[in-house]
Order: sequence, then structure tokens, then C-alpha cells
Amino acid sequence: MAPANKQIHICDDWLTVDFSDLETIYGLCDQIRGDTHWMEVVGGLQSVAVQFDPLLLMPNEALALFEKQLASYAPTTARQYSEIELPVCYHPDLGPDQELVADRMGIKPDDIAHWHSGLEFTVTMLGFMPGFGYLQAEDTIPDIGRLPQPRQNVAAGSIGLIGHQSCVYSFDSPGGWPIIGRTPAKLFDANGQVPALLSAGQTVRFVAIDKNKFEELL
Amino acid sequence: MSLRVVKAGLQTTLQSAPFRGHRHIGVPAAGAADSLSLALANNLVGNSSNDVALEISLNGAKLCSEATAIIALTGAHCDFRINDEVQSHHISILISEADEITIGPAQKGCRSYLAISGQVDVDAVMGTRSTYQPAALGGFHGRALQDGDILAVKQFRGESYSEQSTPTQFVPSITNNMIVRVTVGPEFHRLNQDAQTSLFQTSWDVDQRMSRMGLMLNGKILETEDSGPIQSSAVFPGVIQCPPSGKPFLLGPDAQTTGGYPRIAQVIKADRHLIGQLRPGSKLQLVKTTPEQAATIYRKKLKLLKPWLGDSQLW
Repeated sequence: MAPANKQIHICDDWLTVDFSDLETIYGLCDQIRGDTHWMEVVGGLQSVAVQFDPLLLMPNEALALFEKQLASYAPTTARQYSEIELPVCYHPDLGPDQELVADRMGIKPDDIAHWHSGLEFTVTMLGFMPGFGYLQAEDTIPDIGRLPQPRQNVAAGSIGLIGHQSCVYSFDSPGGWPIIGRTPAKLFDANGQVPALLSAGQTVRFVAIDKNKFEELL
Repeated sequence: MSLRVVKAGLQTTLQSAPFRGHRHIGVPAAGAADSLSLALANNLVGNSSNDVALEISLNGAKLCSEATAIIALTGAHCDFRINDEVQSHHISILISEADEITIGPAQKGCRSYLAISGQVDVDAVMGTRSTYQPAALGGFHGRALQDGDILAVKQFRGESYSEQSTPTQFVPSITNNMIVRVTVGPEFHRLNQDAQTSLFQTSWDVDQRMSRMGLMLNGKILETEDSGPIQSSAVFPGVIQCPPSGKPFLLGPDAQTTGGYPRIAQVIKADRHLIGQLRPGSKLQLVKTTPEQAATIYRKKLKLLKPWLGDSQLW
């Protein structure tokens, strides 16, 4: 399935192409990331962008190379994305917006942990901060929306939920997503063999832990 | 050899080459905001062009040397003194123990680069010694320098000192009135006809709110046919985005890796180092070019710099 007649936009050292399905984005990114012509390969929610060095490739050469790779792209059906379980403490202290989320969902705040840990998510992309994960639920979740006023400081590990989309904060940072819990897992370790814990395409499940366990794992 | 930070100033960080190949896991470029000034400073003290140097922003800094060393200052126009004696920029200077190095507030441009022979001794993290503060990555403990910090310098090459200065034709012109060339971005067509013209006809003012992440441009509200967000997509340093407010902003080296606002333009690679010298109140004129022309300009620029800088890179 070679995506035909794709609209590609090119700047002087990067180009981008739109896709409608995430599977192709993950697959194409994986396939071309090893090519040394591309300094960066970045998957978005509906696009793939590659950056090149205009000293080595003129934009039209980069375009030709990319088009060739697009044409020969074949999704590998056998591709398995790893699954990961993230421990989450749903203590209200660590999930300050549980009431807001419960209210929109029409459930009790006490049921948030049970409800959320029963869902399955897919990592759609990483961005915003090193290791920061954007997640998407398999189930349909009604729109919750962002906080009217973003927080100055959201703690690393916080789990945000705006509806169908969820996120995991990798560092203390400002942020506007309602927070329902916190994972003690380290989302990013610059000295690690693989610096980011999450990767695009991965399946994520949340496992409820209590505050003692959270402190222990931190 | 070491350098003691007497006054760190507003934001003094260690910067060298950007992080590369990690944008898909959310790691921004970081690195020297003005890559050309970094290369020129390093070149004067016998370092490689990408070696780590001090990037000093806007209001200057003060340092004290704890041994003999060679230093050089490039970038923003500012008062530069050693023990109260005025010094020239773009020249290698031999300093001795207890010499006080004072870099005054920037008068033209925004960032100064102070290179030290042998470079500051910090570990490379994910391939570079540059600092990315929001995630405390790299540089000096991942943060901006603070008063009292002691910077160790690798090897001293003072015995081989001979005065070097940047030949005039290689000294970049740094002003508060900048012209940079751009190519149109993927969502340029979202601007209405008027806005498409205004983007290139407006003399933009750099807003007070600016950082290594980006800077807001005042001058004209750009109206879009469709101001809605785009699905989160890749952005790069030098991208100009247009949020629903119609006030465009220009992404700097620390900008995040993805964004949801229309990408209306991209500062060309050859001119991107100029972004590092934009300061609050700077005037900015955007000039449209094509990707092919931009790549040719970039190749020509590196070729022109080669006799002095060798095989250096800009980013």
C-alpha cells in the first residue's frame, strides 16, 4: 500500500507529508529513521516530517529521495509494538482534578482509579518535553477539555486527561490538562540506553498503586 | 584551570552544537542560539567550532580566571573589560590568574559568546555539551550558571598563545534591525491574501516576552482563513507559527518539537543564527525565498566562511 499522490510541503531543510492513519505514521517513521540522510524523523498525529542537511541534499533531491521511500513503503504486518504497564497512584493529592473529570464522566471521584486503570491507551507521539507522551484511548471518552487556567507547575509523572486524549508529564512543567493521578515511573533518563520510556505505537495500561507503593517506587 | 562565575547575569548557559536525532522523543535542539558567533569565538582560541562556550544574554556577566588562559568574545555588541581595561571583541586574549572578565549589557544584538581555550570541562549528554534548561539536560548541571559556580577548563594551551583576530570580512554585522530570509511554511495558505502580503511588508517588533524557546512578533494581526489548530505536527527552530490571536511567533533553539498552530514560514538555515541576536525591541523584516535558493545561499555562506572557519556548521 504505497500512499500515492501525497501532498508534500518542503522548506529549505525539512519536508512534511500528511497521513490519515497512525499505523502508517509509526511504520514509515520506523522504516526511514535509520536512513542517515534524515537528521530527524518526527511523526505527528497526522503527518511525518524529516529534516535534512541542505549541504548534502538540495531540497529537490531530498524530495525525490523521500518520494521514493514513500512509494516503496510497505507496512510490515508482523510488527508488534511493545506493551507497558505504568503504575499510577490515584490519591486525590496526586490527582487534583479528579472531581472535574468524574463530574464530566458522570462517575464518582472514588471510581476514577477503577475506570481509568481499566482502559487501554496507545502512545500516539512524544513531544512538548523530552519523553512527554501523548496517549489516545481505545474507548470513546467524552470531551473533558483543558483547565480554564493552566497550572504554573505540573509535577513530573502526572497523568492528564482531556477526553479521548491523555498525556504523561515527563518533567515538572506548566500545563493545562486536568490531572487524575501520578506515576512514579521515570519517563526520561538522558543517560539510559533508551532515554524515553514510552515510544509511539506502544500500548499503555495503568495499574493502580497506593501512596506507600508510590513513595517506594519513586 | 578554572573560571569562577562572579555574576552570572540574566541567563548565561553553556552551549555548543544542538541535540540531534532525538526530536521524535521530544528532545529539542538547544545549542548556541547564534551558531556563527559560537564558531567564531571558538576559532580564535584554537577550539573546534562546535566546542562548548558561554552564551551570555542581554545584561552581561562577570567572571574571574583562576589561572592563565586564552579567551575570546564574539556576538552582541557590548562593553568588554578585563580588570577595567576595555578589550576588543573578535580577538584572542591571554588572561592570567585573578583577572576579572566583565561583559557588559548588550547594546546591539542579544547574546555574547565567550570561548576559552580547551573548552569548559562538562560531560556530553546525548551527544552534546549544550544546555537544555527545562529538562535540566546537559551543560553545567543542566542549568544556567549561578554566582559562585566554578567552571573547570580541560587543557590549557596558553603556552602556544599568539594573538588571533577575526578578519574584518568574517565579522558578522549585528544590529537591532535584522533582515532574515524565509520560505513559506506548510500552513502559509491559511493566511488570507492580506496577511500573506503583510507577513513580508510589515516591519516586525520583537516583543518583551522572548526566550530561547521563542519570541513573539508585534506589528500586525495576521488574519487567517482558518485559525483552528492543526493536528500536532513537527516544528523546528526558525518556524514562524500563527496562533488564533494572529500574533505570529518565531521559534528559537529550545522550542518544543511539535506544535498545533499553523506553521506559516521557516527562517532559512543560512540565516537562522541571526535569530540568536534578536532582542526585545529589535526590528525584523522577513524576505521570501524558495527552498532551492535557500539551500544555495546556505552552501555559499559555508563556502565563504571556509577559509577562516574550515568545515564548520551552522544550525
